[in-house]
Amino acid sequence: MTFLEQVGQAAIVQVEDAGALTLQFLSVLRKLPRVLPIVGARRRWRSAVEQMLAIGASALPMAGIMSLCTGFILALQSASELRRFGALEFVVDLVAIGFTRELGPLITALSVSGRSASAISAEIGTMVVTEEIDALRVMGLDPVEFTLAPKYLAALITLPCLTVLSTLCGIFAGYLFLAFSMDMSVRIYFQAVAEAILLRDVAFMLVKSLVFATIIVHVGCLEGLRVRGGPEAVGHSTTAAVVKSTFLVILADLVGTAIFYFMGWSSLG
Amino acid sequence: MTNSSAVETGDAVISIRGVSMSYGARRVLDRVDLDVCRGEILVLLGGSGSGKSTLLKHVLGLAKPDTGSITIDGVDITCCSPSELGAVRRRIGVAFQAAALFNSLSVEENVALPLRELTRLADSTIELMVWMKLIAVGLSEAGSLYPPELSGGMRKRAAVARAMALDPEILILDEPSAGLDPIVSAGLDELILFLKRSFGITILVVTHELESAFRIADRVAMLYQGRLIAVDRKEQFVRNAHPRIRQFLDRQPDAPPGVAAEEFIASYLRGSKDDN
Repeated sequence: MTFLEQVGQAAIVQVEDAGALTLQFLSVLRKLPRVLPIVGARRRWRSAVEQMLAIGASALPMAGIMSLCTGFILALQSASELRRFGALEFVVDLVAIGFTRELGPLITALSVSGRSASAISAEIGTMVVTEEIDALRVMGLDPVEFTLAPKYLAALITLPCLTVLSTLCGIFAGYLFLAFSMDMSVRIYFQAVAEAILLRDVAFMLVKSLVFATIIVHVGCLEGLRVRGGPEAVGHSTTAAVVKSTFLVILADLVGTAIFYFMGWSSLG
Repeated sequence: MTNSSAVETGDAVISIRGVSMSYGARRVLDRVDLDVCRGEILVLLGGSGSGKSTLLKHVLGLAKPDTGSITIDGVDITCCSPSELGAVRRRIGVAFQAAALFNSLSVEENVALPLRELTRLADSTIELMVWMKLIAVGLSEAGSLYPPELSGGMRKRAAVARAMALDPEILILDEPSAGLDPIVSAGLDELILFLKRSFGITILVVTHELESAFRIADRVAMLYQGRLIAVDRKEQFVRNAHPRIRQFLDRQPDAPPGVAAEEFIASYLRGSKDDN
């Protein structure tokens, strides 16, 4: 009986989590147009641009270097096997497809989730603790529109851009390896890359990065808003935000990739 | 409860009727009745955990009571529509306990925020209004500073300036003098009296600082364990014989001094053992 109760309790908590996530998501979606330039409020757009710098631009070095390293690692690991079959050229395909479909979006999302999910939940959590969220409500300003929506927009815009750039970094690392190991020229390498990648791989990459962006900013905001009590609760919320967003990013990646595979989109031609 | 009926029948701006509220089994507010009359300063006293912060949250419409009603300027905020609540809130200025200034905005921008967001005034008008509010609270020099650069007293003043930005009819101050030294705290008391004199606004102050309370109050209310045990003009309030009020006013601990210290240390040790 107690075991049953425990299971039920856990299930209720999870369902409440999911419900809270959905409700918050809907209310943000409704407010998102207010943040857009021209049609929305000018000051919201400005704060969205600030968020883009914080979430996107300053994550570029880290995401880029992580992709560069991973690209090199991937090339090294695959080369040692492929060399035995005399198929070293296939390193190009492996790196290009691997990065476009999978590693580019994933590594970018993981680095942004580590940097920004924690930063977002810490910022919003602090606003809850210092009553700034209450102050906004009492002033008649909607905290969703004022603090959440600019972050969502910033993440949705910057994460695809970051993903493209870090994918390029990863593919470039593959070039570095092949240039050193078999004197491949830039032109030939990138021609091979262009042949290997299909338009739907790029589309899949962009869709993935949009989903990851939503997960990261969403979990960060929700964990921040849930902070109750003192400053130490902010610390717990940042940890929870990083853990949950990382986990959900990988889960979503699995689901997306599985759909891509079983729909038969992943086979060449 | 002995009330001065003259004030009681006066024009109530905030009228709290039979408000109760519980967290689980714990009763935080127990049938609270309270009127705040136009143009007065009402000080709500109470120890830690007496329910005064909870009552304040209800008055601001941030929480809904289990039973009872809260009427502000004729609108029952416990059951009105969000737009009506918004209209009521625009007539209330609030200075929160932790000041709740936005750290990414300078003091000027903090004060200007409600004006920019909620009115269609020209920028030059807003600048002028912000400057006037900052002069009123004595912060005209500090307008370009950011909240983390301010001292505790300046932060509280800036919060009052922001609360005053939309020229509210009602000003609500949560623990204005908590954590301030006596001189700064006295300055803040004078500021509150000045605001009442010059703008005729209704002010509700929540505090546990006795000296400041009796300096500024017209009437004093006291909450104890979620019940309102007294509401009275301050001259009568100091003569109230309720044992808890006597204890509060005379600063007596719950147990005789020596025993209280031992109990405190014992509970502290228990607490730290629980943490580990």
